[in-house]
Amino acid sequence: MPPYRSKVRVLEKYQIIGFISSGTYGRVYKARSRTPGNKKEFAIKKFKPDKEGEVIQYTGISQSACREMALCSELSHENVIHLHEIILEDKCIYMVFEYAEHDLLQIIHYHSQNPDRRPIPETTVKSVLWQLLNGVSYLHQNWVLHRDLKPANIMVTAAGEVKIGDLGLARLFYKPIQSLYTGDKVVVTIWYRAPELLLGSKHYTTAIDTWAVGCIFAELLALRPIFKGEEAKMEKKSTVPFQRNQMQKIIEILGTPTPERWPDVRQNPEYHQLSSFKQYGDNLKAWYQQIGQTNPQGYDLLAGLLNYDPTQRLSAQQALEHPYFHEGAKLSLNAFEGQTFEYPHRRVTQEDNDISLPGTKRSGLPDDSIAGNRAKRLKEG
Amino acid sequence: MAANYWSSSQRLHWQMSREKLAEIRHNLDAQDEKAVQAYPLPSYRQLSIFFNSRTACPSQLIRLGRRMQVRQQALATAQLYVRRFYTKVPIRDTNPFLVMATCLYLALKMEECPQHIRIVVSEARSCFSDIMPAYPEKLAECEFYVISELNSYLIVHHPYRTLQELTPILNLTSEDNSTSWQVINDSCVTDLPLIYPPHIIALTAIFLSVVLKSSPSQTSLHTTAAAAAAAAAAVATNPVANVPAIPANTGGDFNGGGASTNLSGNGQGQQQNRVGRLIEWYAESKVDMEAIIDCTQEIISLYEVWESLPPQAEKVFKEQLCKMVKQRGIS
Ligand SMILES: Nc1ncnc2c1ncn2[C@@H]1O[C@H](COP(=O)(O)OP(=O)(O)O)[C@@H](O)[C@H]1O
Repeated sequence: MPPYRSKVRVLEKYQIIGFISSGTYGRVYKARSRTPGNKKEFAIKKFKPDKEGEVIQYTGISQSACREMALCSELSHENVIHLHEIILEDKCIYMVFEYAEHDLLQIIHYHSQNPDRRPIPETTVKSVLWQLLNGVSYLHQNWVLHRDLKPANIMVTAAGEVKIGDLGLARLFYKPIQSLYTGDKVVVTIWYRAPELLLGSKHYTTAIDTWAVGCIFAELLALRPIFKGEEAKMEKKSTVPFQRNQMQKIIEILGTPTPERWPDVRQNPEYHQLSSFKQYGDNLKAWYQQIGQTNPQGYDLLAGLLNYDPTQRLSAQQALEHPYFHEGAKLSLNAFEGQTFEYPHRRVTQEDNDISLPGTKRSGLPDDSIAGNRAKRLKEG
Repeated sequence: MAANYWSSSQRLHWQMSREKLAEIRHNLDAQDEKAVQAYPLPSYRQLSIFFNSRTACPSQLIRLGRRMQVRQQALATAQLYVRRFYTKVPIRDTNPFLVMATCLYLALKMEECPQHIRIVVSEARSCFSDIMPAYPEKLAECEFYVISELNSYLIVHHPYRTLQELTPILNLTSEDNSTSWQVINDSCVTDLPLIYPPHIIALTAIFLSVVLKSSPSQTSLHTTAAAAAAAAAAVATNPVANVPAIPANTGGDFNGGGASTNLSGNGQGQQQNRVGRLIEWYAESKVDMEAIIDCTQEIISLYEVWESLPPQAEKVFKEQLCKMVKQRGIS
């Protein structure tokens, strides 16, 4: 067949403003449309098939990139990052997204680094959390598990709209026959990983995403991760290590997961590990007070999202209906409404902004799920 | 979106009328009339059988899928990718064997049962011989081509899910279920997945499986189905009326009343009763009976074409395609 040629050329259509970040699977650039009059900004995510130092060759698109392309093309919701187009050119994939000026990692960082450590205003927290849940609820209604929710993947536009990003790990969960566990064993950055996953459950449900939302809520309030465990490294490729330290962090705050609180806890493959932990009571309320929170509805919602039992944990839809959102200050769809300060803009550098050059960082392995190792991804969480 | 057919890319971008599809193909052929004259190929329907079918003329894609022990759903996805691709690209500009292997490789990733590119290439070579390029880069390049022509819409909806959902509701026996499953597989060989939503195809498959069982022998398959289709049409236009010739249970509930006892019966009358009740259930559920009739006819005529294909058809088709690929230098 004649050599593949893209009908659209990235550089003809977009002007690269600068380099944003180099992620696990490639690089992200900030860009502007070359169409006169179009003032919109874009984030172009470039996936490269090459490995460092090699001549670029077609090697087959990674499963993760395939998923992200397919899901982002299909999804359409105000709280999920909008994919503008995909350009396949010169052996590279360019996914052109709407540009989001901020992300939760950066917003949390801004507050925690601030000398007077001002908390994030409650109206902002409420708005961010509601929009996040709204996006997650949409994903779940459409049978999509995100599986990697964390502050860095939750973006916020300059207009204060929350946009869930990075669907590279997302999966459809209605697919019967195959267990969702096959293919890639490690999901969700460790600090946001649900207890059932830590205990080796192979049964994926939407509850793993709502746990992560609970962790993000806590982090918005405390300005630091609520369960900041240290990751046990994979020793052998074939075995997933038990994340003891992460489990420890959870138990210290939420208490020991007893069968009273979590009737099916014994069914988890790694349940036996729990016997070696010291017993703790539920200290979530104390933690909540200690970080200076007083809103009882906020506590109730947090406890509902961080329920040990995945079947009792609040669903995104239930959480949206929680009184927390409907009492007190009015809920706004602009996370920044009423703010008297502005968050710094996303850093964009000029050094590295030639999008057409092969990158220096290693990109995703082709056929990555067959290689089966997601450790690298997690490290960067 | 993804699992919601109504807002899916399949419905919004990849569902078209029969007329539109015919027009698209006409225009593709018109793009390069010289090539069309120089390289006569089987008709779209015959080609589609050659690419996809399972029985009469063991198809290339299914052969490859079987060899690799691919799940049916992934195979159906690959088949639909091939079909969509050839609504965008003239077949004579491509190496169809490479396209089939590429679509399978991509479908395996999308259906969460990935295989390494080298394995797909080597299996495809054993299956298709050296008309399949030996280098994985060729397949990987073709993957760009395919994704680009498909506009990155890679999530597809198949009728299998509707079948599974309806099996308990309609009280289908495991035999009904597996016949329906088979009919759905066969529908992948037709244009139906480009024209109709998956639930319509599933309802057609169920309808056919129940009708076929009520038919005394295979030879009258066509007449039986035609009669059933006519009955269905009658119900569609006048849902209150009893179904002529195939008496329906006045209860109207496919499950209700004596239905479940009847289901295990295999007498002729009981089977006909089932057909009647099924049609009634469809009518009450406001199923688009016109569509069911159209799909039924398409499947029946597929079976007729299958039966009429001479045994050497596969060889002839393959030679025609290989000759085209080689002479046009589009390995
Ligand atoms: N739409 C966007 N707007 C602005 N920045 C973005 C956007 N998408 C991604 N980024 C930036 O690029 C980084 C990496 O993107 P991400 O999609 O998370 O890639 P990876 O899967 O490689 O981690 C993000 O953390 C963010 O800083």
